[in-house]
Amino acid sequence: MKLVSRNSLGWLPALVVPAVVVAAVIAVPFQAGATVDLPSKTPEQVLALVNDSTVSAFSGTVEQSADLGLPSLDLSAGMSDSMSKALPESTDGAIPLGMTTALELLSGSHEFRLYVGGESQSRVQIKDHMAERDIVHNGSDVWLYDSSTNAAIHLSLDLEASAQAKSAELKSQLPTDLANPAELAEHFLDELDPSTTVSVGTDARIAGRNVYQLVFTPRTNETLKTDTLVASVSIAVDSATGLPLQVTVLAQGQTAPAVQVGFTAIDFAAPNAGLFDFTPPATATVTEQAMPSPTEGATGDQPGDHSPAADEVPVVTGAGWSTIVEVPAAAMPAEVTDNPLLDQLTTTVDGGRALTTSLVTVFLSNDGRVFTGAVPLAALQAAAE
Amino acid sequence: MSSSEFLPQTQTHTRARVGGWDLLGSEISVLFRRRRTWAMLAAVALIPTLLAVAVRLSSSTLDPGEGPPFLDRVSQNGLFVGFTAMVVAIPLFLPLTIGVVAGDTIAGEASLGTLRYLLVAPTGRVRLLLIKYAGAALFCLVATLTLTVSGALIGAALFPVGPVTLLSGDTISVTESLWRSLLVAAYVTVSLLGLSMIGLFISTLTDVPVGAMAATIVVSVVAQLLDVIPQLDWLHPWLFSHYWLGFADLLRQPLDLGSFGQNAIVQVCYVAVFGALAYSRFVTKDILS
Repeated sequence: MKLVSRNSLGWLPALVVPAVVVAAVIAVPFQAGATVDLPSKTPEQVLALVNDSTVSAFSGTVEQSADLGLPSLDLSAGMSDSMSKALPESTDGAIPLGMTTALELLSGSHEFRLYVGGESQSRVQIKDHMAERDIVHNGSDVWLYDSSTNAAIHLSLDLEASAQAKSAELKSQLPTDLANPAELAEHFLDELDPSTTVSVGTDARIAGRNVYQLVFTPRTNETLKTDTLVASVSIAVDSATGLPLQVTVLAQGQTAPAVQVGFTAIDFAAPNAGLFDFTPPATATVTEQAMPSPTEGATGDQPGDHSPAADEVPVVTGAGWSTIVEVPAAAMPAEVTDNPLLDQLTTTVDGGRALTTSLVTVFLSNDGRVFTGAVPLAALQAAAE
Repeated sequence: MSSSEFLPQTQTHTRARVGGWDLLGSEISVLFRRRRTWAMLAAVALIPTLLAVAVRLSSSTLDPGEGPPFLDRVSQNGLFVGFTAMVVAIPLFLPLTIGVVAGDTIAGEASLGTLRYLLVAPTGRVRLLLIKYAGAALFCLVATLTLTVSGALIGAALFPVGPVTLLSGDTISVTESLWRSLLVAAYVTVSLLGLSMIGLFISTLTDVPVGAMAATIVVSVVAQLLDVIPQLDWLHPWLFSHYWLGFADLLRQPLDLGSFGQNAIVQVCYVAVFGALAYSRFVTKDILS
């Protein structure tokens, strides 16, 4: 009898400790998502909060995830080495931060570290498996560095012709705008027009800060004939500083966010200034580039705001959420059209090839034009005719 | 073990009544006097040596990104040998040695018939478990330090040594890079603590040390397999092997200690769970040999 009781007591820790550990593992994320009750604000007040935000220097960790129903393209993961080999790798190291980055960001999740030290200083670090890609912007210098190829690209921004506009343009072509929730939110706020309902959602907690959630829902208005794949866009705004901390895009008929970019940690102290002083390693291959070629943008599916030759100007049709962008054949870089990945990604449809995702549709018509928008494929095919 | 009528030459049992610290000292000295331990440490040191010699003898230069991480940098800077060797050794080699040491802890004594003599002394089963675990944990530290130090030495002997380029493209001095190497060794040591406790638990289940060793190694391989199955991504952050290669974060600028912390939390969970299981199993076990 005594033996039995000793034995059963002896087994107690084997039950209790795992139970406590499992309970803690489950409870801790719950605690982080505990309900937050902020003084209620109207959408206008939250927008004003964003506008009045004076945060100019901060550092943080950003997590970006995309669930567009695409096959996994995580080129940085060791498992898909063969796919990354399939990409044409040019020796000057121009590819790593262009096409590949753009494709990568469309699937899976990625982690960035972001350092902003005012208007003209920023550094984005894309954390890869045993590697890292850096984009360092310091005044008139922009450095791109890829540790896996040990290649650096130096861009000198032309300061004479309105440095601000140029740097904004450059940023729109680099993955920075995808990595910086603040810039993404501004983009959406600018796009705001009568086609959208704006509301304030449930208060939440993101990166340890209490946030208001601004929710933008496309109006399903018969007269406007809105036809979009976007279900809603929500922007989490820090209640104390007004800095947007997270952007979530929901697609029609999908519960998991189609795209989500947000801080997982943020620090409002100014980062160490030395971080923006980039000197490429002595062993790196350095390429000097005056300005990135306009068609090499990492965000090729967005309306380009550059001014190339007339036959390369993208045509924008439609308005609001159902905007369609048409890129003429001449403007398509060979890097994109000759890419073997293109065949893998697209399927043959009536009149060309198409890439359909839960959020964005791309239609490559047989004559070389490319149509894209957050609309169903039929709308793109109609626009092509 | 029939010959146990007489006190056999036990591994740890040298004095009848000894304090915990004495017993720990004797356990450690037994562990590090074994020829098997030395052979495993020599094999660990062989990894960076082989890597460095192969790169030195080879006439062709590697393109960046070819081979294991940092291998292309080795010929320019010998300090990278240690990092490359660590990446190579983590998935299989280090778990293998940990499996041998941790799997042997209790089962080894049981198979030699020395376990009950250890427990005749008023050591207590809990204290014996703690001492055995401390010995295995110390081996983790010694094995990773062996890898780091031998990597630095062979790298310095065969290649030029200079400022080290981090993943972020920033360059740090030789002194700071040695600090970071030690930090990497600390990270890897912590990474292996969970597996050590799993090995100790498995070792309490059997009297056949080879079985416990093999089972521990199998567990580490299975965990790494599960880690690459995308359908199980909810499980990945809780696999003890998930953060094994996360020491890359220690090679970024500014230093990112985030994954060090996450890794430590996961390892503590495994140590707690399997420590409790090992305790329960060992306390309730009928010691027959």
